[in-house]
Amino acid sequence: MQVVVLLAGVVDPKWRLGTLGLRPGTAQVEDTALPRKLSPFDEAALETALQLRDADAAVTVTAILTGGAESDGLLRAVAAFRPHRAFRFGDAAMSLWDPATAARLLGAAVRAATEAPALVLMGREFGDSDDGVLAPALAEAEGWAFCGLAHRVALRDGDILLHRTRGARDEILHRRPPAVVSITNERGNRLRHPLMKNVMLARRAPVEVVAPPTAPPPALALRAIAAVPPAQRGGAGRVLTGPVAAQVEELAAYLRASTTGAA
Amino acid sequence: MHDLCALIPLGDPSVADPFAAVAAAAAIAARSGGRVRAILLGRVPDADAIAAAERDGATDILSAAHAGLSEPPQAEHLLAAFEHLLAAETADTLFLLPAGAVGEELAARLAIRLRGVPLGRCTSLDRDGGQVTARRASHGGRAEARLTTQAPRCFASLRRPAAAPAAPGAARREIMLDCPLPNDVPPPEIRHTAGEQARRLEGARIVVTGGRGMAGAEGFALLRDLAALLDAATGASLPAVDAGWASVGQQVGQSGAFVTPDLYLAFALSGTAQHLAGIGLNARIVAVNSDPEAEIFRVADLGLVAPWQEVVPELIERLRAR
Ligand SMILES: Cc1cc2nc3c(=O)[nH]c(=O)nc-3n(C[C@H](O)[C@H](O)[C@H](O)COP(=O)(O)OP(=O)(O)OC[C@H]3O[C@@H](n4cnc5c(N)ncnc54)[C@H](O)[C@@H]3O)c2cc1C
Repeated sequence: MQVVVLLAGVVDPKWRLGTLGLRPGTAQVEDTALPRKLSPFDEAALETALQLRDADAAVTVTAILTGGAESDGLLRAVAAFRPHRAFRFGDAAMSLWDPATAARLLGAAVRAATEAPALVLMGREFGDSDDGVLAPALAEAEGWAFCGLAHRVALRDGDILLHRTRGARDEILHRRPPAVVSITNERGNRLRHPLMKNVMLARRAPVEVVAPPTAPPPALALRAIAAVPPAQRGGAGRVLTGPVAAQVEELAAYLRASTTGAA
Repeated sequence: MHDLCALIPLGDPSVADPFAAVAAAAAIAARSGGRVRAILLGRVPDADAIAAAERDGATDILSAAHAGLSEPPQAEHLLAAFEHLLAAETADTLFLLPAGAVGEELAARLAIRLRGVPLGRCTSLDRDGGQVTARRASHGGRAEARLTTQAPRCFASLRRPAAAPAAPGAARREIMLDCPLPNDVPPPEIRHTAGEQARRLEGARIVVTGGRGMAGAEGFALLRDLAALLDAATGASLPAVDAGWASVGQQVGQSGAFVTPDLYLAFALSGTAQHLAGIGLNARIVAVNSDPEAEIFRVADLGLVAPWQEVVPELIERLRAR
């Protein structure tokens, strides 16, 4: 059974974005100088794939990281988890801002891994530009089944069994392959640590790169991007000082006033 | 200029604010003119839903019912029914769906099916001539992108706008659908989670949230006690969910619940952009953090620089004593 995990990476959220903008004359974001890491959802998707491999010798896992050469370090970090195959898909010019184009590119990436994917896993958000559109867009573009925001995945008798939470209900879903599943973080899919031996091996191994097909002009064009300061909020910004007991009393009074005010 | 049409799936309680999409469309129409259509889709005709759509500013309401829909409806069925309803549409249209997991999935899938452009979760949308301009957060809410398209059909999800224009009254039409619904996707097994999750984060007036600094499940148990005293819902930051101290449904942020309480009590969380993206701008934030430099104090109404261990038990005691 072929499991493909698509990974995008994000700019390290601890790093200042500074003068984020477009490369002059292009619709490409200039963020290649910023350090990249896997997002929590990339990690959850990767861990899910590794668990499926560990549970079933018939599962073959291919990990695909999108991006240009700036992502090679990250690809090596992924390879250290020893999926059956790991490659980078894309180049510095590849853009995933237009979902229809992105779905076509991701479909090509999956096909570069296998002609018969059973399960495609990706994070609930794919990289820094996506807010959850790309996974369902890929499923629709390929005519594959879809389940969004699963936190646990199992394979049973050729079926895909998925757990997810929607509001106040927990759902267990069944999907027939091929399916795209987007993963959200949970305790059970926190990414394991790689073996140091494998980290060293991956560091020396060559990086496999698959070039993306030429994309048609996007229907949705990125015109501008800029870092924005945190949204303004009305808070008074009053920070209490003095003995903690007195602070707690003040907080209790504040809460009493707020809750009676609301009643 | 693109017409405006809100697509409202009914019958799923996990859609916290289905009519937000109507209100958002009405706000766009208030800026740039035009009518506000709303297509409501449920298992049975729903007079309350029609009234709600009208209150939020719809001018033309189509209430469509399909007896084959389950409650909650399956995405595949909603897609088939909406696809059927939109098949005959020819005018350039900006379709709006309510923000949240259900609306966002529908928007993305419908867009690809109908060869339109999915715009994602937008912060603002403008129409001008044949062009739609969308603004959207990126990089975990630390950046904003501006995107444009000339595509005839665009699909976006939007949250409820802060100010609502006056509702002009609506023309209403009801239809019964009998288009085929796909039967190759089995319905989910549903389990209702007991206890704290029953108190929905969305819609709660007070939310008590813990972050990584809570350092364990014991701390979260205390936060739940505190929440019970305040009749509040409990939330968590992403690392706290990762650690298993809170459940998936309790994650607040860009990648989790969007909450709009009056009061947001934040314990031992630093206040990253990704977390703050899940808190409505009108919430007053109370922060307890042992680090005086923590970002959360910049957005707080009231802050306590102290370890939570010295604050939470004491606070519970005092609130019990009142
Ligand atoms: C693509 C992406 C999406 C994300 N989406 C989300 C999201 O939706 N929601 C979310 O929350 N995060 C999200 N994150 C993660 C985010 O970047 C941060 O990692 C996270 O918000 C930090 O959580 P935290 O504040 O609990 O932890 P930290 O940042 O580690 O903060 C812990 C805080 O606890 C304080 N502390 C420690 N001990 C004590 C004590 N005894 N008493 C009081 N205070 C104490 C510390 O001073 C510190 O400020 C996302 C990240 C990415 C990359």
